Formats: sequence, structure tokens, C-alpha cells
Amino acid sequence: MKTRIYLLPLWLRLWHWSNAVLIVILTVTGASLHFSDTHLTMVSFARAAQIHDIAGMTIVALYVFFLTANAVTGNWWQYIPKPPGIMARSLRVMRYYAFGIMRGERDPHEPTPDSNFNDMQASAYFAIMYLVMPVVMITGLIFLFPLTAPDRLFGLDGLFPVAVVHYMAGAAVVLFAILHVYLGTLGHTATSQYKTMITGWHEGDLPSGRTSSRRAR
Amino acid sequence: MQKRRRWLAIAFGLIVASMLSASAADAQSTAALDPAKLAEIRDQNAKCFACHSPEGLKSPPRQDMDLDKLKTMLHDPALYETSSHGRVECRTCHGVGATTFPHGANLKAQVSPCSECHAAKVFRIETQFDASVHAKTQKDKFTCWSCHDGHVYNIAAKIGAPHKIIAQDNAMCLDCHNSDLQFSKFAPVDKRRPLIGRIHEWLPNTQLHWAAVRCVECHTPAGRGFSHEILDKSKAEKNCVSCHSRDSSLRTRLYRHLLAEEEETLGFVNSVILPHAYIIGATRNPWIDGAVGAVAALLIVGMLVHTVLRLGAALWRRRGRRPA
Repeated sequence: MKTRIYLLPLWLRLWHWSNAVLIVILTVTGASLHFSDTHLTMVSFARAAQIHDIAGMTIVALYVFFLTANAVTGNWWQYIPKPPGIMARSLRVMRYYAFGIMRGERDPHEPTPDSNFNDMQASAYFAIMYLVMPVVMITGLIFLFPLTAPDRLFGLDGLFPVAVVHYMAGAAVVLFAILHVYLGTLGHTATSQYKTMITGWHEGDLPSGRTSSRRAR
Repeated sequence: MQKRRRWLAIAFGLIVASMLSASAADAQSTAALDPAKLAEIRDQNAKCFACHSPEGLKSPPRQDMDLDKLKTMLHDPALYETSSHGRVECRTCHGVGATTFPHGANLKAQVSPCSECHAAKVFRIETQFDASVHAKTQKDKFTCWSCHDGHVYNIAAKIGAPHKIIAQDNAMCLDCHNSDLQFSKFAPVDKRRPLIGRIHEWLPNTQLHWAAVRCVECHTPAGRGFSHEILDKSKAEKNCVSCHSRDSSLRTRLYRHLLAEEEETLGFVNSVILPHAYIIGATRNPWIDGAVGAVAALLIVGMLVHTVLRLGAALWRRRGRRPA
């Protein structure tokens, strides 16, 4: 049955696009700082440092909002990988992305308000949003207030491990974001998931006619 | 013609003489001294420190001294011993007049100029100093001693540890630039001391910068090694990349004495800096950068291949559905 359901509430969409813009800004300025003397420099060092600091503080504030709104609305449940059978379901999704989509098969997971993400998405978003992002933000905050870093660690300057972890975790977020942009085109049409992320409405084959994004209790 | 030759000969003679005297002075300060000679120097200096030290003031060896005057002329024997002049007898600079008591009224005026031993250095530094902000308005008041207290000063190569070099060198600047009293001794009457914190507000992580580099890293001309041409805020280096880059200027400045120890530890460039500071853009690891780049490239290639296959498969399916 062709259905049109309201899947993504306004707060989630606003957070998502603000987060996306900030990640682009942080990537451009972060690369300009780290590769300060190469062709990857898009913003001058001093300006990049200023912008990176402000964008970093903003993304931390947004993350606090994300956590709070998730807790209040119950949306946090969407990000929790749900065994048993998670491996088999994830393999089915991977098989679909690798082969099924070429053969015009149906997506094995049809989003519903109670189950927005397929198992692979839930696991990936859980890892990025609840494990990697906090690492980037905590190390970023230490970087922002470097006098809070330990004086020395492992015989090196205390900021050294903080900087390396910040860079690598930040790179993981950027690589995920690139993949995320591409996976966004793997909906019913290349742009359907982008439309959903803008309007909140999902068009597809839904077994039930639920229209709320609040999880079933 | 003959006159010109004579001048050239004199100039050549002066340069050779100054270099010889400079190398003699350097040899005195760094080379291993004969133990007997060292003991003799210490004995001689102990006679001066018997009065000119906090201990000497506490228990003066003579009763006929002006203790208030003495109070202004005290030195720490331990600090002097470890300073770059530690193996030089006091009388080398203060003259033999200092070995008798009472010393004489104008003994201070008879202190040898630094060029007496450091002729080549002074010759080189004078040109730099003449272009510095200190020479513009305070040339008459400024001497080497205005910044370098020869009783405690150590050359950077001897100190070695960057944080100690920073502490010593920045203290020389802050002694005046962070003290209204000291500043007023040199500055023009109408010049008020700018507040150090306020004029550096633009610099991110100001405190960290002050702990990790010397004032002179930015307040001397960029693109050269260290210079005594001190620049004011209008000319000071504001290009962050000068230090925050792989070819960081710190390599030829603060860390030049340690550069020989560079081993690219853990694959990091400028790893010799890492035990002391992490400097964005300067202390980075090409292997990690390469790995991130490789994963990004693989990801992009993978997405392109997937896109081409998706488009090809869609075209193929559409053709299959088309009626023959």
C-alpha cells in the first residue's frame, strides 16, 4: 500500500541540517588548521582557528540539545541496535546495497515511525553519535581550553594524545559523513530520502498507517 | 689608493682580532677547564661573593661597609656558577680595582664593555639592534645589560630544555613590559605601558603561547634565524603559519639546538618538539594523514563504482522492460 507518513519531527530535521552545516564548517576549518601549509588550506589559519572554535562550541550545544530532545521524545530508542537477529538483518541490508538495489529489489527495511533506521543504520548512527562524536567533542573542548590538558602524558606533551585522538575521531566523522551523503541517495528514488529529511514526510510502502514518530510504549 | 688599502688592512685586522677574542671568550665559557684553573677562579670569585651575596649581607666579613649600598649589589653564587659566565672571574669584567676595598667611587663605570670579549657578536648584533624598536627611542639608555643580566644569563644552547629557554628569555621582556616601574625607566615620559594581556587578546590561547614560545619568536623578523631586531606590535609576525607548518620557523629558532636529535619519533615530523609541545600544523604524522586520505579515496572510488553500477543496472532493467 502506498503511504505517506510523517516520520521526522521538525526538531530532528532542524538539528540534522544544523549539525550537517557545522560538520562541513568544522571539516573545512579543521583541514585548514591541520594542513596549514598545503593546498588543503581553504581558510587562513587565524580565521580558521576562530571559526573552528565557534563552530565547535555550537556543535557541542547542539549535541546537548540532541541528547535532551532524544530523551524527552523517546527518539533515543531508534539508535539502539536491537539483537537478536541483528547480524542476519544487517547482512540482508548489506546484500541489498551491494546487489539487490542493482536488480531493482525492494528495500528489505521499510521505515516506520517506530523503526526509522535499518539495523545497519542504527548500529552506525549509534557508534557515530554516541561513541565517536563524544570523543571528538571532549578532545575538542580540551583543545579549546588547552590548559586543562595534562602537562605531560607518555613522556610527551599532554596535548599530544588529545590532538591525535581529536584528529582521528574527527576524520572518522568526516568519512562517515561522506558515506552518509551517498547512502542518502539509496532511497526509493535518488532524492526521496533528502525530501524526507527536509519535509519530514516519508513516501513508501508502509504496513500500518501510523503517523506519529513517538515510539510505541 | 694607498689610503684605501690601509683602511682595508685595518678593517681586516679588526675583524680577525674580534673573532679571535670572541673565540677565546667562548672557549673560556664552554670548554673543560683545567681543574687547578677552575679552583683558582672559584677562589677568586668566592672573595667577591663573601660580601656580594645574600650570605655575605647576613654576616659581612668587615664592619666598615655600607650595608644599604651592598644590599643593591647582591648576586646568587650558585646562579652565577651555572650561568654562561660561570667560569669567568668577576674581575675580568669589573677590573682589578674591584679586588681591593674600598673599591673606589666610580667602579661601576669601569666595567668592561661586552665587546671586550664578544666583539664579533656585538659587531653582528649592533646592526640588528639599530633597526630594533628599542633603538628608536631609547638607544642611549639601552645596553646589552638592559636585557641580559650577565650574572645569571645563559645562552640557549647551554640551557637546552626549551621551557627553561622560554622562561629565561620571556622574563627578560616581561621584566619591563609587565612592570610600570621598569618600563618607565626606559620609555619616553609620555609613553604609557600597554597591558600585555590586552594587546595580545587577538592571539588564541595566549597563555599557552607564552608558555610554549618566546616573545621573540614573533617579535623579530620572520624568515630569518634569531635576531636582535626586536619589532613592535605593528611589525611583529602575525602569520600563524610561520610556526604552524611543517617547515616551522621554530626549527631555526627555539628548537634549533635540538634539531640534530630529530628522529621522526612515531612517524611524526618535527617530533623533537613533541615532548615539549603539540603544535597544530607542525607536529603531524604523514602516515596517519596518508591513511585518512587513502580511506577517503577508497570511499569515493567505491561510491563512484556503485553509482555507475546502479545507473547501468537501471538502464539495463529499463531496456528489458521496453517492448521489442
